[in-house]
Amino acid sequence: MSATTDTAAWAPSDSSSSPWINDDWLSVWIGLLIFFSALAWLYGYDLLGWVVTTSVWIDPSLALGTVSKTYGFLGGAGALVVTYLALLAVLTVGAIALRARVLRFITSFTVVFWIAYASWIIGSYAQVAAVTPADLQKFGIPWSLRLTNEGGYVVALIAGLIIANGFPRFAEWLKEAIRPELYIKIAIVILGAFVAVTAVGRLNLATTLLVRGVAAIIEAYLIYWSVVYFIARKWFGFSREWAAPLASGISICGVSAAIATGGAIRARPIVPVLVSSLVVVFAVVEVLILPFLAQTFLWQEPLVAGAWIGLAVKTDGAAVAGGGITEALILAKSAAEGVRYQPGWILGTTTTIKVFIDIFIGVWAFILGYIWTNHIKPTKSGDKAKAIEIWQRFPKFILGFVFTFAVGLYIAFSAPAELASKLPLSIAEANTFRVIFFILTFFSIGVLSNFKKLWQEGLAKLAAVYVVSLFGFVIWVGLLISWLFFHGIKPPLAS
Amino acid sequence: MSQPEDIRDELGRQPFEPLLPIEKKLIGWSFGLGIVLLAILLLINQLFPQAS
Repeated sequence: MSATTDTAAWAPSDSSSSPWINDDWLSVWIGLLIFFSALAWLYGYDLLGWVVTTSVWIDPSLALGTVSKTYGFLGGAGALVVTYLALLAVLTVGAIALRARVLRFITSFTVVFWIAYASWIIGSYAQVAAVTPADLQKFGIPWSLRLTNEGGYVVALIAGLIIANGFPRFAEWLKEAIRPELYIKIAIVILGAFVAVTAVGRLNLATTLLVRGVAAIIEAYLIYWSVVYFIARKWFGFSREWAAPLASGISICGVSAAIATGGAIRARPIVPVLVSSLVVVFAVVEVLILPFLAQTFLWQEPLVAGAWIGLAVKTDGAAVAGGGITEALILAKSAAEGVRYQPGWILGTTTTIKVFIDIFIGVWAFILGYIWTNHIKPTKSGDKAKAIEIWQRFPKFILGFVFTFAVGLYIAFSAPAELASKLPLSIAEANTFRVIFFILTFFSIGVLSNFKKLWQEGLAKLAAVYVVSLFGFVIWVGLLISWLFFHGIKPPLAS
Repeated sequence: MSQPEDIRDELGRQPFEPLLPIEKKLIGWSFGLGIVLLAILLLINQLFPQAS
């Protein structure tokens, strides 16, 4: 199996699989399990306090700890082992439900977890992560890369890239646990609650961001898609079967959109599969570049930066996780300049943009399917696009995101003050899992990105469309729209 | 599933498919509608400035 077909193996399940057992629904159930376990803290039951957390370190013995003091007796190493075992247990149940090869999943997830988390620990080393002069003084070091501890995401990505491109047989062995779509969707479900907690007290600002997020939908579906489709068809001479999934992959939401479009226009399965591979590889390139550009040029407009990452980086995993890196870098730079923003708003903006765009994948696929099966490649009546496909292609993890967001807001505003006051700490425990799933996502995306195989499979021409569209159009128009709709809006200052 | 060699060959020698009128309509209407809707949204945002 090639690297590119590997990518497709972990793409969202299509409508032909069992409707309740796929990556999408599994992410909702696992995300909700973590969310409700965290909420038990409101009633005095600390069910998740054992999860491992990493601090910026110079002395390795002080790097790890538990998120709650209740479980402090575990120590850092104990917390890491317990976290690994808990994730292994939950995800193995998921693997059984997905009919994966369970023993292979257990062994490969074990390797994936330890390499990914080791990358995170390396990224938290003080000479990589320390940001402010006070931090440098505290750790007794003269300089640092100032990547913040979220630079660990980049380390995980690079570790994955090294494996994919230097040890392809090892990457192939790991593939049972290389599931970036599943990991990021679980993270996004948890993120809903974190965004709710962040938005409480600043509901006007949150509403403003939601309203402006509508611009992202218009931009992705109507402007990006039409221009990229035109470029692919007219300038590069691609057939309709290739141009439509390619336009959706570059314009909307990478893997999910390419696969939904491929299904809608009745393309051969190989077409969206190869387009998805391309999307993942380019997302890696973007994540390695754009957050640092955002930190350099947009640190005074943090929400423009957050929206830009959501619009420019395709694939949910890379975009949302890229939003996390961007937030860390910009908060660090702002702090160094004496401005301390409340965390969560930049990442929240990126996520809002991405979720808004995702919502309409099914609708857009239906519109394309209708046009294709009725006008471009008329099919017999039984194979024409049906409205039910909108629901079948709807990304279900968004329901999980909306649910945790709504419940978080409800508790904040309706629960007795004593309970509501505990909500931020309770969600912080769930959020620690969100960080771990981000790490797994970054590492997995790296492992899927075999540049050499992509080239060998003759995708240079597809890549050329991607380069022209992405760097000649998508990134800059995304920046313009983000600027028009988000400039001047600042995150609240940290109290 | 197609082999890599087949795909490389296919991508290198795709027959020319001219843009059909329905495709031109799809591209034109999408782009035009997108610009108009963005302009309207921008106007709304100007009329109702952001909260802070």
